[in-house]
Parts: sequence; structure tokens; C-alpha cells
Amino acid sequence: MKLPLLGTLIAGGLATLDATPVAQTLASQPLVTATLLGALWGDWSTAMAVGTVLQIMAASTLPIGARTPEDYAIGGVVGAGVALTIASQAPYEQVRQAASLVGVLAGFVAATAGVPLLRAQRRWNEGLARWCEAELRAGREGALSQVHVAAIALAFAIGLAHCGVWLGIGGLLAPHVARESLRLAGAWHLLQPLWLGFGFAQLLHAFVQRRIERAGVFAAALVGAWLVIVAGGP
Amino acid sequence: MSRISRMTLFMVGFRAHLLQAVWNFERQQGIGWAFALAPVLERLYPDRATRTERLAEHTAYFNTQPTLASFALGAAARVEEARAAGQGDAASMARLKSALGSTYAALGDRLFWFTLRPFAAACGVLLALTRPQSMSGALVLWLVYALPHVGLRAMGVLWGYEQGPGVLSGAFRERLEWVVRVLGVLGCAVLGVVFAWSLAPGGEPRPIAVQCALAGGLGLGLLTAQRARPSPTRWALVLGILGLWLALRR
Repeated sequence: MKLPLLGTLIAGGLATLDATPVAQTLASQPLVTATLLGALWGDWSTAMAVGTVLQIMAASTLPIGARTPEDYAIGGVVGAGVALTIASQAPYEQVRQAASLVGVLAGFVAATAGVPLLRAQRRWNEGLARWCEAELRAGREGALSQVHVAAIALAFAIGLAHCGVWLGIGGLLAPHVARESLRLAGAWHLLQPLWLGFGFAQLLHAFVQRRIERAGVFAAALVGAWLVIVAGGP
Repeated sequence: MSRISRMTLFMVGFRAHLLQAVWNFERQQGIGWAFALAPVLERLYPDRATRTERLAEHTAYFNTQPTLASFALGAAARVEEARAAGQGDAASMARLKSALGSTYAALGDRLFWFTLRPFAAACGVLLALTRPQSMSGALVLWLVYALPHVGLRAMGVLWGYEQGPGVLSGAFRERLEWVVRVLGVLGCAVLGVVFAWSLAPGGEPRPIAVQCALAGGLGLGLLTAQRARPSPTRWALVLGILGLWLALRR
């Protein structure tokens, strides 16, 4: 249990780095981090259930300009991490489903709570940037590399600490979730499709952009795929 | 003769991965821009005092879509080369950065944030739902976005340097606009398939309550998407808390 927990914490730090400071390759997206954490914890189905819902919501959350969007890099790791922490303590199907519900909610809360944290990090970066400019004007060009190392270390530490706090809360919630697992699993059966439908709508809105022919493509693909899936099914 | 080698431009492209490492509200990508351009300045200005002065100039405000920033870095390297040869000044460089920043942001935001990222997510989710026991969903999501992102980031510096500030105009821009349109249509089709699969995974229709929840979520999502606030995450959180409260109250 200690190794997966440690891996989840490190994943939190690394996801925070990929989200903005380093590379931005989408390796920090919830589906990717949930898949890796599922492999790490040996519980694929719980991780994928949480990762899919968080991913569909994350896809429509965009970091345009100076906007500080919800932090789904940390939300994805926290969501999957909390669900896996709870599910690992009582490996029954209904506890897994209850853990998925709590994990998705934890992911949403962590992503939302990440907004003020991201703003604070960007303000701390202002201090680093001013220091760097002063050093450059004083003729010390090494300041540019130093300020980058400092900002990357800061981002990693914030991601790791943020993730650690939520995993701790998840661990505390585990006995309560196990006790209420029957009712929570029932809620998961309806909330999961509700969230998925809600997320599909956000993506559809982004793609359609008030163009009727694109809405037509969606409808045609939906009907065509339905016929193929149902007619071709067992 | 060019004083900037391909290796130097490759280093700029590599450093562009850290363009947003010190992102802040005041200078935004300014510090990262100076860090990425440092190998070019090192090549052009052997005198340390002049070089650090130029580096300090480049820390000024800059912001654009991070992938296409590579094209701006390449174009700036070319202009900086001319400046080192005695043509141009600090004001012309500032004007160039301002013009390229807004132009590339307008195209890059639509291409990467509004189109490629949702498209990659739709493909990833489709595979995650249809093949839940494999890593293919995560892998496809990552590859669909990361390959063009990393490729353009590496090659953008070279193209920007070779063609100068006008690199993203004309035929290349039209090709990118075409990609935006095609991905928009393909995204609608992929979402249609994802929704059909969610209603009847593997050809087995889900219970009517689940289908109603999916349709209800889609309808509510389309309604709430008409307004930017509250954000979709807050709506989803409210739905979840409401569902949790109802479940625990039973």
C-alpha cells in the first residue's frame, strides 16, 4: 500500500508539471493519470470509471489566455487516487462503485480548490520573475536557469502537497464509504451516466459551434452507430 | 551567411517546453521566452554585457498559445540576427512580439484548445469505454495531442526562422484552418459514436433509468453550455452533491 500511495503523490507532482510549467503534452489529463494509477494499484476498473468521468469534464476546461481554469491535472490524480485508496481497503464490487463516486466528487473539489492555489503559484512566480529581471540587469545571466529550476520545484511541491492532503482525507473517509457503500453504489449507477451525458454536451457544444450541419453529423453518427452496435451485438 | 545553426534552433525548440515554467500574471510567458531564446543570443552576442542586456529586454510581457510560440521564437531569432548585424532596434522587436503573440494566439487557441484537445479527449474516452481493459484510450488521447504539439514545437522554430514573421500566413495558415474545420466535424461524429455506445455498450441496451440519466445529462449540459458561468465543473459538483444527499437520505 505504501508504494502505490507514494507513486500517486509523485504522479500528483508530475501532473502539475505537465499541466502548465513543463511540456504540456496532456500526459496530465485524468484519463492518462487514472490509467497509470490503475496499473500501479492493480485496480483497473475503479481507476477507469473515475478517469473517464473526470476526463470528459476536463476536456471542456480550457486554459485560454490569462484565465485560471479548474486544475484537472491534480483533480484527475486526486479523483483516481482517493477512489483507489478507498477501494483497496474493502475489495467488494459495491465498495468499488461507492469509491468511484467519492473519487469523482473528490476530483471535482480538488480541481476547483486548485484554482486559488494556481493563482497563488502564479503570484509567487511574479516574485521569481522580478528577482530574475533584477539579476539579469546586474549582469548575472545564470539567473534565468535558476529561476526556472525554482519555479519547476515549486510547482512539483504544490502538486505533491495538494495531492497528499486529499489522499489523507480520502483515507479518513474510507470506513464511512464502506459503511454506506450500498446507498452510494446506487447513486453511482445514476450519477455516472448523468455526468457523462453532461460532459458529452460540453464537448458537443465546443464542436458544433452553432453550425447546423455539424449537429447533423452528430445525429447521423449517433443513429448509425446505434444501429451497428445493437444489430451487430450478441 | 546565417550565424544561427540548426543545432541552436533545435535548442530553442527544446527550451520552448519550459515556456510557461515561470508563467505569472505580470509578464506571463516573458521569462520563458527569454530562456528559450537564450541560445540564439549567446550565438549572436559574444559580449556578456550586451547579451544580458538583450536577455533582460526579452523578459518583457509576452503571451500566446504555447505550441505556436515556437514559430514566434523562430521569427524572433531571425529578426534578432538582423539586429545583431545593425538593422532594427528594441522597439521593432517589441512590436514584432506583440503582433505575433496575438495573431498566433487567435489561431493556436482554436486549433489546440478548442479543437484538438476536445477531439483527443473524445477519441480517448471512446476507446476507454469500448475497450475498458486496455490502455489504448489513454495512449490514443496522449498521442493524438502530443504528436502534433511536440512536432510543431520542434519544427516551428526552424520554419519561423526560415520564413520570418510571415510564416503563419498564406497557404500554411489555410491548411491549419482546414484542420480545425475537419477536426470539428470528425469530433461530432466521434461523439455520436461515444453516445451510442454509452446507451448500449456492446449491443446490450442499458436500463431505461440509465439511458434517461444520460439523455438528461446531455440536455442539461447543452442548456448550461449557453452560459460561461457557473463553470461545467461547478454544475457537475452540484449534481453530485445533490445525488449524494438524496442517496444518503433514503
